[in-house]
Amino acid sequence: MTRYDLIVIGAGPAGLSAAAEAAGAGLRVAVFDENAKPGGQLFKQIHKFFGAKEHKAKIRGVKIGAELLAEAEKRGAEVFLNSPVAGLYKEREILVRRGEGVGHYKGDAIIVATGAQENMPAFAGWTLPGVMGAGAAQTLMHLHRVKPGKRVLMLGSGNVGLVVGFQLRQAGCELAAVLDAAPRIGGYGVHAAKLARTGVPFYLSHSIVRAWGTDKVTGVVAGEVDGGWNFIPGREKQFEVDTVCIAAGLAPATQLLKMAGCAMRAAGADWLPVCSAVGETSLPGVYAAGDVSGIEEASSAMIEGRLAGGAAARKLGFIGPDEYEERRQVLLAALASLREGMFAPQKRGQISAQTDEGIDLSQTLLRKGYLEEGEVGKYPGVKPAAGIHPVIECTQNIPCNPCRDACPQGCIKVTGGIAALPEYDDRAGCAGCGLCVAVCPGQAIFLLNEDAGDGLAEVTAPYEFLPLPQKGELGAALARSGEKLCPAEVVRVKLAPAFDRTALVTFRVPRDFAMRARFWQKEAAA
Amino acid sequence: MRLTNHPILGPAAPGREVVFFLDGVAATGLEGEPLAAALKAAGVAVHRYTKKHRRPRGLFCAVGRCTDCVMVVNGRPNVRVCVTPLEEGMRVATQYGAGEGVK
Repeated sequence: MTRYDLIVIGAGPAGLSAAAEAAGAGLRVAVFDENAKPGGQLFKQIHKFFGAKEHKAKIRGVKIGAELLAEAEKRGAEVFLNSPVAGLYKEREILVRRGEGVGHYKGDAIIVATGAQENMPAFAGWTLPGVMGAGAAQTLMHLHRVKPGKRVLMLGSGNVGLVVGFQLRQAGCELAAVLDAAPRIGGYGVHAAKLARTGVPFYLSHSIVRAWGTDKVTGVVAGEVDGGWNFIPGREKQFEVDTVCIAAGLAPATQLLKMAGCAMRAAGADWLPVCSAVGETSLPGVYAAGDVSGIEEASSAMIEGRLAGGAAARKLGFIGPDEYEERRQVLLAALASLREGMFAPQKRGQISAQTDEGIDLSQTLLRKGYLEEGEVGKYPGVKPAAGIHPVIECTQNIPCNPCRDACPQGCIKVTGGIAALPEYDDRAGCAGCGLCVAVCPGQAIFLLNEDAGDGLAEVTAPYEFLPLPQKGELGAALARSGEKLCPAEVVRVKLAPAFDRTALVTFRVPRDFAMRARFWQKEAAA
Repeated sequence: MRLTNHPILGPAAPGREVVFFLDGVAATGLEGEPLAAALKAAGVAVHRYTKKHRRPRGLFCAVGRCTDCVMVVNGRPNVRVCVTPLEEGMRVATQYGAGEGVK
């Protein structure tokens, strides 16, 4: 039996962070993962992360994953792949399947970072080929570069459903609709808005009655549900699709923790390990970090991993009390800031009616995925101004502030906490560089010049699709709802390295459409 | 069905095309990619039929967890093709039931 100072189970964001932190303190660390590639879901996350600088905000998950893996390996952590951990015992021993045999390892400390698995609601026809988890679609597109299907229906409007929905569009798939049995969109409004403006309809209070097809899905019957989640007769809709993606939430993968006898507590429909602030379970020296200790974003998982890795280093005497405490406080503060705002884990299940600033939340955003034109002006990021200026359509308290740091002129203020709504300060004077548009992980910032001459206005919007439009190309301007407004000519396409593959497309529309046009759509080839 | 280019990930790295056999018929895929990805790219949806009701099943979780995608690979039944790398000349067969009678 091989012995390590620390064994980490799972090489995702939490596990790799734990390994990097502990190996950096001098521990001999082994990481076991069942997959052929490390990184967990990080290498599938091609969107820019939310948060602040210390949370690696505005950086895409794929890049964060590569950096984290390099850090863990450089510090000497050994990563064992294709190595599913089949057993965890309270004596801090693990059983690992390797090839056709099994291995037995002992750790003076163990960090369980096994992540989560997808919830799967059963409906008639859910076993047909073509029905898959949203995670499967993401895996196919981003790891294996294969399209999951041609025309897809997404069930679930949490962040996974919204983000994967957008990624399906980026991969060139059609998205027939996003459905959710809940009466409100569950994920960030900005994620919904960037889908809605490309023309994807949302059906809230709707679920799948059945998927049909003989050898694979060819269509879906969806139905409206009442407050008791029962289908309302006569309110069915049909969708012709070849693929159905299910994004019905995640459940912590706690099997190993339960097997080892860690104390568990009920949390909604899930069971979570009882943990200290640094993730230590009821078994001394056994820690839980990341989604296995409660579903959150990867940004939180990375901090939890570092907290647990540091705690293991302290417990085994690799770092002194002062150094440990200083680092612990920094990490706890970073974690606390990610848990600010209306989507915080402690607020799960609660419904906010207003932002922290006391502004009514947009009900249209929650029901249909977009803001009404008449309500946009209520939010502090949207102010009329002469000349070029940003329009920040960020209307929910999300812990995120890269827009503030991006602006070289200091036009954008996020004051009173990381989750406060950004405010446009017109005194500073926007120079029109567009960096705020490119860095906003929610793609919620636009540049507007309402007086571009000839009664026209120029709208600059983020664009992450292929092919990129050309200067002079004629397409259509779409409203926030995805409704086609008018023909629109592209006058500029900007793609600086600092934009990290988010292109800025500037198009011209009649001035009356300046506050309505939010997406430029390529005209379908005749 | 293959994504040769992507707005964020850029052009796909070129892979080595290899021949494998699906129910005895030659097909192509990229060496080392999961067999399930090669099948998806080739437009194959059905991986197996269930034992009792003969219902079709295909790729579902794509990460080795659900076991819905199992097929007979090189004569061995119940192989999770979503986590099995494609090798040149691999013999893949649609699985019926639990793969009884496979030789």
